[in-house]
Amino acid sequence: DALLASHRSYRSRPTHGIGRFKYLLPKEVPKRRKEKVQMKEISAGTEYQYGDLNIQMTSHDLCLVEHFAQYVHRLCNRLSIRVNESYAMPTKTNEVLFLEERGSKMQLDAVLTTHQRVVQIRGLSSTFAPILLEVIQSSQPEGVHLLMKQHTEADFKSRLKARPELEELLAEMS
Amino acid sequence: SAAARRPWRLFGAMCLLRLPRITQPLEKEEEEVAALMEQIELERSLYSDHEMRKLEEEEQLKKKMESLYDEDEARGKTVIMAQDLEEKWEQKFLRFKAAPRITDADKSNDRTSLNRKLDSNLMLLVKQKIGNQELWLLPQVEWQPGETLRSTAERAMATFLGDHIQAKVLGNAPYGIYKYKFPKAIRTENNVGAKVFFFKAFLQSSDLSQAQLKADYLWVTKKELGDYLQSEYLKKVNRFLLD
Repeated sequence: DALLASHRSYRSRPTHGIGRFKYLLPKEVPKRRKEKVQMKEISAGTEYQYGDLNIQMTSHDLCLVEHFAQYVHRLCNRLSIRVNESYAMPTKTNEVLFLEERGSKMQLDAVLTTHQRVVQIRGLSSTFAPILLEVIQSSQPEGVHLLMKQHTEADFKSRLKARPELEELLAEMS
Repeated sequence: SAAARRPWRLFGAMCLLRLPRITQPLEKEEEEVAALMEQIELERSLYSDHEMRKLEEEEQLKKKMESLYDEDEARGKTVIMAQDLEEKWEQKFLRFKAAPRITDADKSNDRTSLNRKLDSNLMLLVKQKIGNQELWLLPQVEWQPGETLRSTAERAMATFLGDHIQAKVLGNAPYGIYKYKFPKAIRTENNVGAKVFFFKAFLQSSDLSQAQLKADYLWVTKKELGDYLQSEYLKKVNRFLLD
């Protein structure tokens, strides 16, 4: 009979629920979208350890900067320094306009892109830090600027995008 | 209890490094690999915007030559052609002159100037009088009780190079130590020998316009250190020098 679905096992059948398995898997916590802020650790004393440190590499040449970031990351791995994150900041594009004022005003354009890579490190001991810095400094390629600073909330926030609608609503509410 | 401690005199020495300004020349294998990779990349790459434009304009020119009539003269023709741009860039490039990698100081082997080997580290060596000998050493000064060893090293640098040196000391920990005992003639109970602690600093700016207090100074690379330093001293110093 078409009305009766003959393949379905209904609840009185002994094989009811034979294919169920989801109850066996561990419970999944629903993913929260908001990220937590980082932890900082500074312990003074003979064993002076730095908290989170950011090594920022900036350059116009993409390949150089990426390869250098990879090199620094691998170096830290080898020296068993814990690397929290290794990320890239958004590229900035600059247009260079030449204004030649001899006779006719000509504008020659050049487009320059600035790339930035960041390697975040934790747990660097102060006796080892100058050695690491020296190694990185001496293996710096041409055209790459190196900056090492402590990680702050402002650095963390600079990666996130601003939400104008949310801010507008908040402003309206308050 | 300071009296119960060993009767060593402490010195702080500063190793002032000038970082290399140019990369070192590639080895033969590195050059071959680099050339090979460039060729592979070139063959695999696609045309860029500029090259596409150039090709299109070349085709248009050819068509113009062959068929002597042009339907739309100002169809999409810009004032400047891609070929002209390229020629302009070429001329600009030819006018550009890079600074020489081997400077005058290299050719004359003038070891007192900072413009020498631009692709390796240069260290400061000073002639100092120790006991009754005049020796070439890294600048060192005796430690006064109550100051940190790092400030002793900085003071050593200041005595030989003047106050306004833009050098950066990275950490508080010394890089190496050299200890020696005085010859038996001078040895007393309180003065068995001396320990020299080495610190490293990096020159930020290569502008040393201040007057040097001691006239005998040299900037040498790691390989040339052997010409000037004593063997034991050299061994300990070489331990903390990167090349």
